[in-house]
Amino acid sequence: MIISTGIEELDNMIDGGLRTGSCYAIKGSAGSGKTVLSLFMALGALKKDIPVLFISTEVDPEKLIMYGDSFDMNLKSYIDKGLLSFEKMSLKPKSTSLVQTDKFDLSGIIARTQSKMKSLNAKLVIFDSISAFFAEFVYEKTARSSFMDFIREITDKKAVLVLTSESQVNEEYSTLEEYLVDGVIKIRTELKNNQMIKRISVPKLRSAKPIKFENRFIIDRDGVSILRSEQPPLSIIDAEKIGVEKLDKMLGGGIPAGSVVLIETDGETNYFPLFLQIMCCNLERGTGVIIHSNVHMYSARIVEEFKRVECDITPHLNEGNVVFIDKYNRSVTAVEAREMSQLMTTDDMISVTVELMQAFQKSEQKVILFGDLTDDTNILTEPNFLRYFALQSFNIKEQSAIAYSFINFNAISREMLARLRNTADIIIRFSRSDYTTYIECLKSSLGATFLPKVVKFRDKMPLIEILD
Amino acid sequence: MSLQIIFFTSPTCSWCPYLEGVLRNIIGNTKELSLEVIDVTENVEKAEEYHIVAIPTIILPNNQRIIGSVDEAFLRKQMDQFLIMMS
Ligand SMILES: Nc1ncnc2c1ncn2[C@@H]1O[C@H](COP(=O)(O)OP(=O)(O)O)[C@@H](O)[C@H]1O
Ligand SMILES: [Mg+2]
Repeated sequence: MIISTGIEELDNMIDGGLRTGSCYAIKGSAGSGKTVLSLFMALGALKKDIPVLFISTEVDPEKLIMYGDSFDMNLKSYIDKGLLSFEKMSLKPKSTSLVQTDKFDLSGIIARTQSKMKSLNAKLVIFDSISAFFAEFVYEKTARSSFMDFIREITDKKAVLVLTSESQVNEEYSTLEEYLVDGVIKIRTELKNNQMIKRISVPKLRSAKPIKFENRFIIDRDGVSILRSEQPPLSIIDAEKIGVEKLDKMLGGGIPAGSVVLIETDGETNYFPLFLQIMCCNLERGTGVIIHSNVHMYSARIVEEFKRVECDITPHLNEGNVVFIDKYNRSVTAVEAREMSQLMTTDDMISVTVELMQAFQKSEQKVILFGDLTDDTNILTEPNFLRYFALQSFNIKEQSAIAYSFINFNAISREMLARLRNTADIIIRFSRSDYTTYIECLKSSLGATFLPKVVKFRDKMPLIEILD
Repeated sequence: MSLQIIFFTSPTCSWCPYLEGVLRNIIGNTKELSLEVIDVTENVEKAEEYHIVAIPTIILPNNQRIIGSVDEAFLRKQMDQFLIMMS
């Protein structure tokens, strides 16, 4: 029998749902959401009239009911219907004192759990948490090894056992339980842009191929939701569009304001189509753009390129929807550019940044396209360039703007690429292999990364098409 | 009236027969103490009531618990305090 977790995306991640006769572990640091997730799993089963036994080792049943109420679960109603039972199991009941030795087993909780399972006819047993449970034992090793009997006995009963377990920050090895359980669901939290981001993955799954990639895991008043990396729900983000429909969709609806997007290309792949496409889309949406031009990407060239693809942007130019910050307003050779840029001092870089800030202030335009940064990286000293990039990125975030930066990853040092990637919120990469161009997302602030997909370039808008 | 010692056992517990023997030895000769032996697999209600987790568990009259098997000398010392109290 397969029991749904009640969370469709989680079901997908664990090959359809929880399998009876199997044991799963939910691992995560303190406060990552193990208890909340296990309560939702219980609710998922209860909604299908599957009886659930919830064993709590630290939190009292009344508190858990209240916890459920904060998500409108109304767990009390299931208890009244005889579908749910909360059991507190802890080694040290209130107002007792203990003497402990290492000569014991856990047949006490095994007998209690089996008896409760029988009277409820429970098909799902949740044990929250084994870490708090083991912490009460002086002889923790004995408790852990005896707990193997518990896992064996309970999962033998044609039921599902779900354990929650607190992972330590610097956990390098798998714990014993991890070998014994059939599946591990892992929740990881990280601090990003002053926000706690949770991610969920399935590093171990006995019945099928594990889902090693991480999806976004969100707990809010409405409950828990999982944003699948490949295709997160569209409604979640009210984001700016890139203008390539499929790309927007794969990124979770678009790009959130305040993002620095790094677009990496190899030397052979032409990034012009994407550049024009982003520009065109934003102009059509009335957002306007600021173009930070460069050796290959100056105002005259852009206008020309638009003409070539039969797209007329003159009205936008006339209305001032496009602001050019031209470093060189004509075609310059690489040598010329180098000469000019060598004259560029830190002060000049600051003045370029100030110019950008003024452009932000003057207009509603909050989308900025940085023409090819590759030359800048080669011309400026590495520390100077990185400072410049960091300064601009800071600026973008301050203004809740969006920046697209284009770079040739083959033409810069690995170290530099690593630094840029670190600063970027979203990384889109073009690469070529056997005359085919691929697009992939290596990093995304929304967790919506995706694997390489074939790209087709066209002569007219839309200039880019992503194939399945 | 006598003070009650509750001893929780289970069929899987390998130390329990020894421990039960020792307990019976100590308590058998006294009027002041009595022993109740409970197999958790047969009397789950009691295991529930006393929140039993590990086996063996001995519950002493002062609400102290001994979890895991101990030797005779240790048990005698524990029992002595109740015998002194009662006399
Ligand atoms: N009613 C709620 N609404 C929104 N978020 C909640 C609510 N209750 C708890 N949370 C979130 O769940 C997290 C705690 O989850 P919990 O499952 O208790 O952690 P643990 O992994 O330690 O068991 C908190 O960090 C909080 O962000
Ligand atoms: Mg918890």
